[in-house]
Amino acid sequence: MAAASLSGLKPIVRQHSEVGVILIAVLLVIFFVATSGGRWNNSYNISTILQITATLGLMTLGVALVIGTGEIDISVGSTFGIGALIYLYFAIRIDPVFAAMLAVAAGALIGAFNGYLITRTGTPSLIITLGTLMIFRGLAIALTSGFAFSVPYKERDGLTYFILGGENIFRAGSFSGVNTGFLWLIAGLVVLTIALKYTRFGNHLLAVGGSADSAHSRGIRVDRVKIKAFILCGALAGLGGVLEAGKLGSADGSMGRLMELQAIAACVLGGCVLAGGRISLLGALIGVFVLSSIQSYLVVMAVKPQWFMVLLGVIVVAAALGDRKLRHWAVRK
Amino acid sequence: MADAKPLIQVKNLDLYFGAFHALRNVSVDFHAGELVGLVGDNGAGKTTLIRVLCGIHTPTGGEVYFDGERVRAFHPKLAIDQGIETIQQSVGLCDNLSIARNFYLGREPVKRILGIPFLDFAKMRGEAKKVIRAFGLRDNVSVDDEVERLSGGERQSVKIGRAVEFKNRVVIMDEPTNHLSVREREHVNELAVQLRDQGLLVIYITHDIFQVHKLADRIVIMENGEKIEDASTDSMTADELEEVIRQGGRQVEKMEA
Amino acid sequence: MIGVALMLIAFSVIDFSGWWTVRTISNVVHFSSILALIAMGQALVIVSKEIDLSVGSVYGLTGIAFITFEQSLGVPGAMLAALGIAATCGLVQGIAVVWGGLPSMIVTLGGLFTFRGIIYVWTGGSVRNFSEEARAHWLTRAFGGEFLGFEVVLFWMLLMLVILSAMLKLTRFGNHLLATGGAADSAESRGVRIDRVKIVTFMICSLMAGFAGIVTLADRPQTHVTIGDLLELEAIAAAVIGGCLLSGGRGSLLGAVLGAFIVTSFRYELIALGAPSSWFITFVGVVLIVAVIFNQKLARWAGHNV
Repeated sequence: MAAASLSGLKPIVRQHSEVGVILIAVLLVIFFVATSGGRWNNSYNISTILQITATLGLMTLGVALVIGTGEIDISVGSTFGIGALIYLYFAIRIDPVFAAMLAVAAGALIGAFNGYLITRTGTPSLIITLGTLMIFRGLAIALTSGFAFSVPYKERDGLTYFILGGENIFRAGSFSGVNTGFLWLIAGLVVLTIALKYTRFGNHLLAVGGSADSAHSRGIRVDRVKIKAFILCGALAGLGGVLEAGKLGSADGSMGRLMELQAIAACVLGGCVLAGGRISLLGALIGVFVLSSIQSYLVVMAVKPQWFMVLLGVIVVAAALGDRKLRHWAVRK
Repeated sequence: MADAKPLIQVKNLDLYFGAFHALRNVSVDFHAGELVGLVGDNGAGKTTLIRVLCGIHTPTGGEVYFDGERVRAFHPKLAIDQGIETIQQSVGLCDNLSIARNFYLGREPVKRILGIPFLDFAKMRGEAKKVIRAFGLRDNVSVDDEVERLSGGERQSVKIGRAVEFKNRVVIMDEPTNHLSVREREHVNELAVQLRDQGLLVIYITHDIFQVHKLADRIVIMENGEKIEDASTDSMTADELEEVIRQGGRQVEKMEA
Repeated sequence: MIGVALMLIAFSVIDFSGWWTVRTISNVVHFSSILALIAMGQALVIVSKEIDLSVGSVYGLTGIAFITFEQSLGVPGAMLAALGIAATCGLVQGIAVVWGGLPSMIVTLGGLFTFRGIIYVWTGGSVRNFSEEARAHWLTRAFGGEFLGFEVVLFWMLLMLVILSAMLKLTRFGNHLLATGGAADSAESRGVRIDRVKIVTFMICSLMAGFAGIVTLADRPQTHVTIGDLLELEAIAAAVIGGCLLSGGRGSLLGAVLGAFIVTSFRYELIALGAPSSWFITFVGVVLIVAVIFNQKLARWAGHNV
């Protein structure tokens, strides 16, 4: 009886790869609430978690799309940093809206560069984006020459700064609200999920990741689809950088470092298959939430924050392994 | 038929993969309303030839004319838009997508909502369902199931169903009866003849000369990247053609020795 | 290999004023030898059609284990224990890749975090220095001293180059390794245990990284928890510059060594030119992209199907 109802779940698991991560998230939240004695599940902490989720989440959406095409983009951490620096540099000199658009455009340009090189030369995306990761990280550190770019707090008012992540909204009592970046994230999730599931672009993107040869034989321009995914990924990372810079008001050359790894970890955790063709944007975001929850749990429980790195590493591998096993189980007739 | 203007004309086609000479000076005509059997051993170049025709490979030298027009750009999209449909052995379906999504892959119907082109799932699912039932897929397979779960025969049925469903001028079948049961095979062969009778050009690729001789109007034999025979099925029997294939093989061995 | 030669020529043409001093040469030789040790291990993994992103962390972890264990185990014991840790890192990752059926990129990405995290947790953020008597120990000097006027690490590196090249070209294991990377299915059908080959290759790679860590600390015994940060990128760059194809089955250990030399030389060239050190990261990125594209074009031109 139990076995029968369990195999009834197979189609759900097969078609919704985020099931695994939702389960993990629920169990973790229960565990955190039970063991932290209110230190984790208070409104202040939750709002912090959501704020971290917002900017990392935007980046993760882009990485998930690229993973969907069967490629990988590990340059996003640097793109994030460049986006933040461009925004801060031009926001006070010219105009914050213009600066934000410039930063997103720069991100898109980096993505286009990645995509063009990868599709044109047929080189593994891991190596090309490893290269651009280093190029733009070096550039970011060199540009700031070790100092931080910042916008003074008193100048950060008005609607544009508010929209670009400067203020918190939904404040209620002790709940310090969520950053406007979180709204950007929700908007990004909704738009991209619809695009992925209900448009030609989404169908082509998943087809390319599932079998590039088959997609090609059906007349899909594989290279263009991949380049589009890389451009979106770069633009989202740039936007994430803008919002993070808008929240903090300053950034230095190391902004966004190692975030690419967290983004990939979140995607794997969220049920995105690295071979391509199967991704869940919602799952990836829950993956981000899980990662930032663990990080904050370690902080509030006064565990050495260094444990986060160890855990991150173990989680990535365990999640990949668990996801594989789950899929195997679900595909079996 | 032979004096009519050919639908596809291939002239002096050459194709290299790196240093490998895959097609050597191939010239062949294909006419509308004809069922041509393209026969040869593995590696003879028959699949490579049709991959040029359906736009996957760009030839190194030579010319291809479609409907009297010189083909200048090679891409599957262009070929499909011209009405050339190909059923290939290993590619054509994405394992990770549902049958309905695969069915319309590359030419998805859209319905505009607020000006945004959304996929027309009602049409995609409806058409796909009709076809897979007609091709005898198991009743418990739904059009929302991923192709990953289908057997080899079922996959082939989806591909052929897809080729039949769209209004095409050319249908190229690359080993269409591999992985099929005897009944499914007969069904596919009947379909090939039926398409020809509707006035389409059907190119049927196989290494089994006896199977295709019964169906085809004309047989083209390839060997080692070259065309070595082009004869109507009225003028030569299957046994004679098989002998040609043997001879061709021997010639090559002599050349290499 | 031709790519490396061309790059060396291009490199020599660039202004070398103030570069070829004895001091910088000694530094370049020292650091390129260390990087070469890691790059050779990486090259073997790339030949097996996998990748190891964790070498920078393994390098750091082993080096720090060496220093930390020295207090209780003495120099030889600490060295063995540290190498044991390195081998375990490789073993665990190899097993996860082979038996877990996971992409090596994800597994070793996890390894990169885990091993670096272990360094932080273990040391609490600060690493003590090597004691005076440990530095004077003959074994320390055998790895960190000088010999014939050169840093001794150069000779260790050359020795490993000879041993590993011989292993790759002349032994059965080397043949299996090349076959595994070139066509895993065919290798398996001929009875090659590709799972074992890959696990052993990951172990060799981690051991080489660990050995490099020990050699580094035997010579310059002050260190920090960030030791080996980003080194994995330099090692991959060196291996790729040296002609390793990421499609597996082809690679040159001598090329990896020369690649390491190029990467390190440029670092000192940039320093000599007075450029901010961060430009070095940018430079490695550019060289990596140029080298990988160039090598691929070269291989295609030569008629390989990659």
